[in-house]
Amino acid sequence: MNLALEWRKERRQPGVWLLRGPSILFLVLIVFIPVLVIFQDGFREGLDRFMYQISLPIARHAILLTLWTSALMTIINAVMGLITAYVLVRYEFPGKRLINAIVDLPLAIPTLVTGIMLVILYGPQQAFGVFLMEKLGLRIVFAPPGIVMALLFITFPFVVRTIQPILEDLDQTQERAAATLGANPWSIFRKIVLPALILPTLGGSLLSFSRAVGEFGAIVIVAGNIPLRTQTAAVYVFSQVESENRLGASAVSIVLILISFAVLLIVNAIHKYWGAH
Amino acid sequence: MKNKTRFIMACLFLIIFLPSCGGGGSTAGDEVRLLLAAYTTPREAYGEIIPLFQEYWFEMSGQKVIFEESYLGSGAQSRAVVDGFEADIVALSLEADVTRIQQAGLITHDWKAGEYNGIVTTSIVSFAVRRGNPKNIRDWDDLIDPGIEILTPNPHMSGGAMWNILGLYGAALRGHVEGVPANDHTAAANFLRQILANVSVMDKSARESILNYEMGIGDLAITYENEVLVGRNSGQTYELVIPTSTIVIQNPIAIIDTNVDKHGTRVVAEAFVDFLYTREAQDIFARHGLRVVNTEAAAASASQYPEVEDLFTIDYFGGWDVVMVDYFGLEGIYNQAIQQVHRGE
Repeated sequence: MNLALEWRKERRQPGVWLLRGPSILFLVLIVFIPVLVIFQDGFREGLDRFMYQISLPIARHAILLTLWTSALMTIINAVMGLITAYVLVRYEFPGKRLINAIVDLPLAIPTLVTGIMLVILYGPQQAFGVFLMEKLGLRIVFAPPGIVMALLFITFPFVVRTIQPILEDLDQTQERAAATLGANPWSIFRKIVLPALILPTLGGSLLSFSRAVGEFGAIVIVAGNIPLRTQTAAVYVFSQVESENRLGASAVSIVLILISFAVLLIVNAIHKYWGAH
Repeated sequence: MKNKTRFIMACLFLIIFLPSCGGGGSTAGDEVRLLLAAYTTPREAYGEIIPLFQEYWFEMSGQKVIFEESYLGSGAQSRAVVDGFEADIVALSLEADVTRIQQAGLITHDWKAGEYNGIVTTSIVSFAVRRGNPKNIRDWDDLIDPGIEILTPNPHMSGGAMWNILGLYGAALRGHVEGVPANDHTAAANFLRQILANVSVMDKSARESILNYEMGIGDLAITYENEVLVGRNSGQTYELVIPTSTIVIQNPIAIIDTNVDKHGTRVVAEAFVDFLYTREAQDIFARHGLRVVNTEAAAASASQYPEVEDLFTIDYFGGWDVVMVDYFGLEGIYNQAIQQVHRGE
């Protein structure tokens, strides 16, 4: 009864249907239906065929490679993103504005270009790449390290930009009080600043993970794409589309979507929890 | 009220679909449009042939031909046509891509009936090696030496890459690879595995593969003869090595019946395809690194294209229908080999 009343009240608000209707329709049309179609396509021959497709050795390896490279990138990003955000908010130094602007640069660069940049830098065309390969025996491009480097580049802004506003809003009185009481800067950071930043760091890095899982443009250039060695899930999906195995492409896509979606749900939960505290 | 909704729907429908109608090509008095959908390799050659044809057709019929050209990977191009890209003519890198269009019901005539079986140019699978051939790569068996780094595109992404796999497998099966007995599938598969173990980058197209090679990656690229010749013509220093036994890459051309009939372009489209077989057009293809089918043009360019000791075609494997399943299917020879190479990693 109460609910019905409230619903009616809401309904009387001007513009509710005018705005809500189209926005929901838009979401359904642009996001929901395409995703639904992939699910329908991936399961069209039943769960058995779906499982068969995702358990093929090449597919399974591609998914695992995607997950571990993305996870490694996420850990590095969490640490470095936190430090970068802290430095950008708390310290004054010449060129800070420029550095602040550079943080967003990866968002503006097509990921394909990111791939090309890395191949040029670490490949045999540049002295640096030759040095790494011949002097140190380090192979960056066309190997998993190249995948991690590309993902780091692409998702770098995610963590920094999640932490920055929170750090800016953080009340500094506690830190000042601690300093007055004789606490050293490191323990102030560890005991006061860090706890406040843990959840946003987690949120930001999971967001970057979820973005990395589906990356194609840069990876297809830097990875080398050898099945069972350097072929990631997104590139595998492309290979299956190209070779008429759409079921396999859809099945692995569904796995990617589910992983990304699960991670996004966790991020949302974190934001909610963090908003409540 | 209902009528109004219907009217709005109709308007929306028109707005969305009208611009896509008639975009494919049409006849308008003394002007005719042809939409050519091709794979990327012959782009430069078509750039030279098309103006000649336009001139020729204007003299013949007084009609001005306007060309719209689209260049994409062969497989992607073929799928686009199946999905409604209204090309009048397709020029693709392998027969299987034309077959797909035919099976979709868009090609209704026997496109392989002509004198040249629908094949307009050919090339062969060969190697690009570094200047001076420092690793001394002469034939297929040199590719399995330890420490040789090979580039070849991914057969699941690039139709053309399938030619490379078939080339090496066929050479082995026909007894032209040292140490591999003839007609022995187990031995040939083993040889395939040994080569795959040396492959360090599998790009998504033949063109990307050769571009990576040009960037200095790898000791050799398995590629097409024409890619090497075109690269050398544009100043690259790598060298061409032709193995003793290799496969002929046959590039088909076909008219899309449903589209030419819809656009009323059948006559001019057929004239264009015929024109591609003339000495004039074939000479242009030959200048762009491709082996040609017109006998006179082939004779004229013979010095540029040495004869291969043992040359075989897709028919040796039973045609593309067989190859797509037995060799490149999910449980085909290639997939099995690549899984065995990297097992446990």
